[in-house]
Amino acid sequence: MSPMNVDWVHPGFVLILGAWLVPFVTGATKRWFLVGLPAAALVDCMLMTPGTYGVMGFLGQEVVFGRVDPLSLVFCYVFALMALVGMIYALHVEDDAQHMAALTYAGSALGATLAGDFLSLFLFWELMAVSAALIIWLRRKPEAVAAGFRYLLVHVFGGLCLLGGIVLHWSQTGSLAFSDMSPHAGSAAFTLILIAFLLNAAVPPLGAWLPDAYPEATVTGAVFLTAFTTKSAVYTLIRGFAGTEVLMWWGAGMAVYGVVYAVLENDARRLLAYHIVSQVGYMVCGVGIGTALALNGTSAHAFAHILYKAVLFMGAGAVLQMTGLRKLSDMGGLYKTMPITLGLYMVGAFAISAVPLFSGFVSKSMVVSAAGESHHAGIFLLLTLASAGTFLHTGLKLPWYMFFGEDRGLKAPKGKEPPKNMLVAMGIAAAACVLIGVFPSLLYRHLPFAADYIPYTPRHVVATLGLLGFTALGFFLLLKQLDPEPTVSLDTDWFYRRGLTATLPLVEGALARVDGVVAQASDWVVQQALAMGEWLRDLDARVVDRSTVGLGKLTLAFGQGLRLVADGNAQHYGLIMAAGALAALAIVIFG
Amino acid sequence: MTNYPILTVTTFLPLVGAAVILILGDRLARWIALAATLLTLAVSAPLYLHFDKTSTALQFVESVPWIRSWNIAYGMGVDGISLPFIFLSAVLSVLCVSASWTAVETRVRDFYAALLISETAMIGLFASTNLFLFYIFWELMIVPMFLLIGVWGGPSRVYASVKFLLFTLAGSVLMLVGLIVLLYAGGTLDFQTLAGMRLSVSAQTWLFLAFLAAFAVKVPMFPVHTWLPDAHTEAPTAGSVILAGILLKMGAYGFLRISLPMFPDALPLFLTPMLALSVAAIVYGAYVTLAQTDVKRLIAYSSVSHMGFVTLGIFSLNRSGIEGAILQMVNHGILTGALFLCIGMIYERTHTREIAAYGGLFKAAPIFTTLLAFFCLAAIGFPGLNAFVGEFLIISGAFTKWAGLGVMAVWGVVLGTTYIVWLYYRVALGDVNPGLRELRLDLNAREVATLLPLVVMALVIGLYPESVLGFIRAPVAQLLSAIAASPTELAGRM
Repeated sequence: MSPMNVDWVHPGFVLILGAWLVPFVTGATKRWFLVGLPAAALVDCMLMTPGTYGVMGFLGQEVVFGRVDPLSLVFCYVFALMALVGMIYALHVEDDAQHMAALTYAGSALGATLAGDFLSLFLFWELMAVSAALIIWLRRKPEAVAAGFRYLLVHVFGGLCLLGGIVLHWSQTGSLAFSDMSPHAGSAAFTLILIAFLLNAAVPPLGAWLPDAYPEATVTGAVFLTAFTTKSAVYTLIRGFAGTEVLMWWGAGMAVYGVVYAVLENDARRLLAYHIVSQVGYMVCGVGIGTALALNGTSAHAFAHILYKAVLFMGAGAVLQMTGLRKLSDMGGLYKTMPITLGLYMVGAFAISAVPLFSGFVSKSMVVSAAGESHHAGIFLLLTLASAGTFLHTGLKLPWYMFFGEDRGLKAPKGKEPPKNMLVAMGIAAAACVLIGVFPSLLYRHLPFAADYIPYTPRHVVATLGLLGFTALGFFLLLKQLDPEPTVSLDTDWFYRRGLTATLPLVEGALARVDGVVAQASDWVVQQALAMGEWLRDLDARVVDRSTVGLGKLTLAFGQGLRLVADGNAQHYGLIMAAGALAALAIVIFG
Repeated sequence: MTNYPILTVTTFLPLVGAAVILILGDRLARWIALAATLLTLAVSAPLYLHFDKTSTALQFVESVPWIRSWNIAYGMGVDGISLPFIFLSAVLSVLCVSASWTAVETRVRDFYAALLISETAMIGLFASTNLFLFYIFWELMIVPMFLLIGVWGGPSRVYASVKFLLFTLAGSVLMLVGLIVLLYAGGTLDFQTLAGMRLSVSAQTWLFLAFLAAFAVKVPMFPVHTWLPDAHTEAPTAGSVILAGILLKMGAYGFLRISLPMFPDALPLFLTPMLALSVAAIVYGAYVTLAQTDVKRLIAYSSVSHMGFVTLGIFSLNRSGIEGAILQMVNHGILTGALFLCIGMIYERTHTREIAAYGGLFKAAPIFTTLLAFFCLAAIGFPGLNAFVGEFLIISGAFTKWAGLGVMAVWGVVLGTTYIVWLYYRVALGDVNPGLRELRLDLNAREVATLLPLVVMALVIGLYPESVLGFIRAPVAQLLSAIAASPTELAGRM
């Protein structure tokens, strides 16, 4: 590739390089610039045609920055669209650094998606980790600083797993191309790279970082965070690990895991964060099933999920911004003062619950159907169970307690509608959710694999409505039991945060005890590392150093001992000379 | 080629500068030092510009018979392996002068004279083509370093300086013995000639051990590394930068220049212990770093770990490993030099090295923390910056040799990332430490200008590693084929 070849512009670089210009654009033009940048990236994505671009040599290997094919394209579209929506939502933020971090983050997700080889993938992987940590840090509160630090450590660790896997892969195959890993299944490289991808996808037990960090970010920052890390990880899983059967079970379990933890949550955004885990579980499961329908479903679900999750986080974020409240137990009665927010939020809630005519229905059902088609009844049941739980919490519980429910006598300001830009952003994303739901072919025609699927069959619709209906019935009957309490759930990260949050109420349920075993393992590793460091440091000072210095002291002592001989006494000198002469004679005779 | 002895001029120009400083006194000392170091850098430019990267022969050779009865000549010359280090020495010397501008207030002319003498020794060592000159500059280096630590250092400077002296001398003495044996066995001390000879296996083994003593202390390898934390911590900023930036590389350079080419038949015996010690240094060094509470000591111990990577790469005996090792030597010089410079600058203001005394510098000194963040990112091996390439090459060379080595190396990188990120977290983030509130902490223009060349170098090498790899490729290939010509295992595809 000649560097002057301009038939392709990397949309990620548009965002990353554009981010550096943000501080230099001032005044009225800044808002246009902030919106224009992701808009330009989106247009760039839409104009991209399949092919291989941006090929360079590095260390004797081919580094491919632009692998454009249907799979990467569909993810690029949604990432660019999300960047646009997120920037519109964040237009009111005055802090340039936050914009720069967000744009870099979105740009690096695009970079990771378009990466055709492991080296460029690793570059953008690390860049995503650093810029996401920065997004969290820029809230500038102590808990955010700590959360960002933990996020960075976890993700750099994942990055190093990836690096280890890449190096192993290179030394075994001589190639750095990023493609299907199934020929190498079972090898250490395969496992390490898979672990790295799973960590970024927040698959338990490696996913505790997600509900830990996302609620600590700013209102606008969290919206960006929800979209990119996990979905780019899903993309890489599709690309490299499609059909890996263990992922099927793991994903289904993950879908249920996320919902169960969401049950216990009181912080609105943390609840939504656990739902990310659950929804990504569907995607991971789809990757594991590996059929064309399943992979299409995964891609479609990722697309839809980014948009409706954005709506949900934007809604919860708007409530947080306008009322300062994040705990459900403190909220209620906001339907009077924030009706538009409520309406848009409900669009997202229906979408995530897979209500017909919304995007979630046309995407989630693909994955569930794929499970059914490949005769995996257990998976089918687990995913359906998770769907019920999802509707219960995101579709019913959360809006009920946020907007309806007991009017907790909020002091003024009782919230009012958030700034227009936030509503516009929510509106765009919500509109997309409805549009895709009503006209699924808009999404389907971009899906990477050839498969026919008709979501609106009578059977499907009736089954879904039945599930939703009974869940709603259960909700209203059990309303009292589901009252949110100000509890704090413990996830696998409790143990690596032990030093910071010493006294916390215990979580309910046997699941937590099982989790505890896993958590103890990660806690043990961290504790051991520090203890080992201290022990070795003391060993170094007391043993290693002293032994080498001890040689010097020995020499000194020897010299001092010898010095005693030179005491001026002639008889002693005579004795020593005689002894020396005898020794020399002995050597000469017997040597 | 140039028509004047460029290497001799580059080597001894700083010495001339030192003499001038000693004559002219304190007031002009730092200006003369700055001029001398900049001039040395400028004078050395033709070396890099006119170097023929495709040739493995020595270039810019100067040879004058010196001690005829022992067949010793005054010989200077460079190849692709020594050239990057001459450049590094010249650049770091300039930066050291700049960093000490306001930090040194007592016996100023002696300080800068010592600094310049050490520059002569550094460049001279890398430029010498025979063992005699090599040894002279090796020993010469000790004197200014001893003074720099002992006179202008921290509270335990005398202890640290004497310790440094004794450790290094102990090794050097054995190197002297080896040198004498080589002279008698080989009849010459010229590197290239000696590399072509094959002494008996037992002779090579003993000689390897003798030189190992000197190089292992210098690198430093575990377990003779304990001089390093004291020396680095107690030394003034310029001293730490030179120690970490160049001195440690001399030991590894010795392995590459002497041990590997001249004693290849001894390698099978020592390979496993060398690899084991390298891995021990990586992991052990990283763990000990994790537990440090003094910021300079932390960086010092991290050097033990990083040099473990270097020796791991060298003794992998494959192309990836050795190229990665040499590149990493350059990278480490840049990055650890930068970190010591950063710490030194902030120490000038706070006069404490305890990590617990810091915190929240991001608010008080944004320029400083941004630069520190850059160097920390580079140090953890962020792709696009220099250390990534070196680590990548070394790790792949290690995996090729034996998978276990690669695993340990990656574990070392994990720990390395942890202690660097944790250090940054404790120093830069969080709330501003009350003890620091009154101080004007951020960097001035001179200090930023001191750090910028290192930023540029880190970026250039990270994005375009050919800038260094291009020089070393040919001589490394030649080295490997020379080792292969002897009955030593040569592993790997790379």
